[in-house]
Amino acid sequence: MLQHKDGSVQNHQHGWEPYVDNGGTSLAIAGEDFCVIASDTRQSEGYSINTRFDPKIHKITDKIMLATTGYSADAKRLTEVIKMQTERYFYKHEKNMESHAAAQMLSVILYQKRFFPYYVFPILAGIDNEGKGCVYSYDPVGNMERVTFQVYGSASGMIQPFLDSQVGFKNQQNVDKTRLLTKEEAISIAVDSFTAATERDIYTGDYLEIYIVDANGIHREQKPLKFD
Amino acid sequence: MFLTRSEYDRGVNTFSPEGRLFQVEYAIEAIKLGSIAIGIRTNEGVVLGVEKRITSSLLVGSSIEKILEIDTHIGCAMSGLTADSRTIIEHARVEAQNHTFTYEETIPVESLSQSICDLALRFGEGAHGEKSIMSRPFGVSLLVAGVDEKGPQLYYTDPSGSLVMYEAKAIGAGSEGAQVELQQSYYKNITLKEAEVLVLKVLKQVMEEKLKNTNVQLAKVVPKTGYSIYSLGELEEIIARLDEQE
Repeated sequence: MLQHKDGSVQNHQHGWEPYVDNGGTSLAIAGEDFCVIASDTRQSEGYSINTRFDPKIHKITDKIMLATTGYSADAKRLTEVIKMQTERYFYKHEKNMESHAAAQMLSVILYQKRFFPYYVFPILAGIDNEGKGCVYSYDPVGNMERVTFQVYGSASGMIQPFLDSQVGFKNQQNVDKTRLLTKEEAISIAVDSFTAATERDIYTGDYLEIYIVDANGIHREQKPLKFD
Repeated sequence: MFLTRSEYDRGVNTFSPEGRLFQVEYAIEAIKLGSIAIGIRTNEGVVLGVEKRITSSLLVGSSIEKILEIDTHIGCAMSGLTADSRTIIEHARVEAQNHTFTYEETIPVESLSQSICDLALRFGEGAHGEKSIMSRPFGVSLLVAGVDEKGPQLYYTDPSGSLVMYEAKAIGAGSEGAQVELQQSYYKNITLKEAEVLVLKVLKQVMEEKLKNTNVQLAKVVPKTGYSIYSLGELEEIIARLDEQE
């Protein structure tokens, strides 16, 4: 409570809220020689939808994509920073940044803002320097891990166990747990994840963007999700 | 010639009416006073060699260091005012480590060499926010040898900040003669072992003293193991091969 000199009392004290959760979901699945990256395009704030089409996946190089969730403004700035640094790297070293370099750089960029972090959960995915599919996942302060699949965002709680089962073959017996999915399997699991999640998560929906990165380059697909 | 220099060789960054920076040119002259340094690039790696002038019998030869490691995959040999190289080497080492820290990969040899050259013209008053680090140009020239994904490479940097790639290069006192000899003896598919002998052969021709394993220093940078300095024993063996050849 704020007491003014004239005795009036102001109940509503407005604190500074630098962060907003804009919802949305992103996932990536690595294959032997490809990578599937998928995101919905809804951007919300509370019960309002700001826009039905705000892509959360961005191209970093011909072999690397960045998928984000969290606070949309921070995600956009982070994406710009990474794109700028990647371009500077290209001019300075006269070569394209490889995924391991971009991965480490992203970790450094995030940690540089350790005490006022980008409220973003990034997934960096694409093809590594050996031509293998790669997925790097991060927390907002830069902890990095190379994984075979990752899902972040408002529907991650629903999709994570599905991927654990269908991509990671967790808690299953008599299966090869190191097996990587085929391209068709990965795409189908990504699509199923989102259509199912859209039914229950109000922050996920509108459109599904799917990127497939392989030796032939980057291929984009878009599918409608439920509008409600 | 000296008449025209009278005014314009005072300021370190004032062009003469003919468009020359005399202090930089004088710095390049300073290189020619330094003892010789040689670098030869082969497909198997790069060899660096320098003369160590043991000016007194009381001087501890091993304390003269003219070939230094910058990173595990890059080494450099120097000629000129070797004390000036300390700033440059420090900068280069930091640059290399920064690259590894940020990108989890070793720095490309060309980028590293370029970063050395970026320092070369940072003398005089600091401009556009850059802090000035030197009041005069550096009086040292470097031969940067390294291996990266593009293979073995040899670069030459001088006080004017220019960067040139060489197959074989000699710098310092007597480098003109040495360069001619390198030009005659170098051939495209020279092996590392042959390059070792060629470096010593050229050093021997230029040096006033008799060539021994104590008054020369050799180093190599090869793809797998990176930078290494030759031990006295290894030098002895190469000298023996040189004697055999002659």
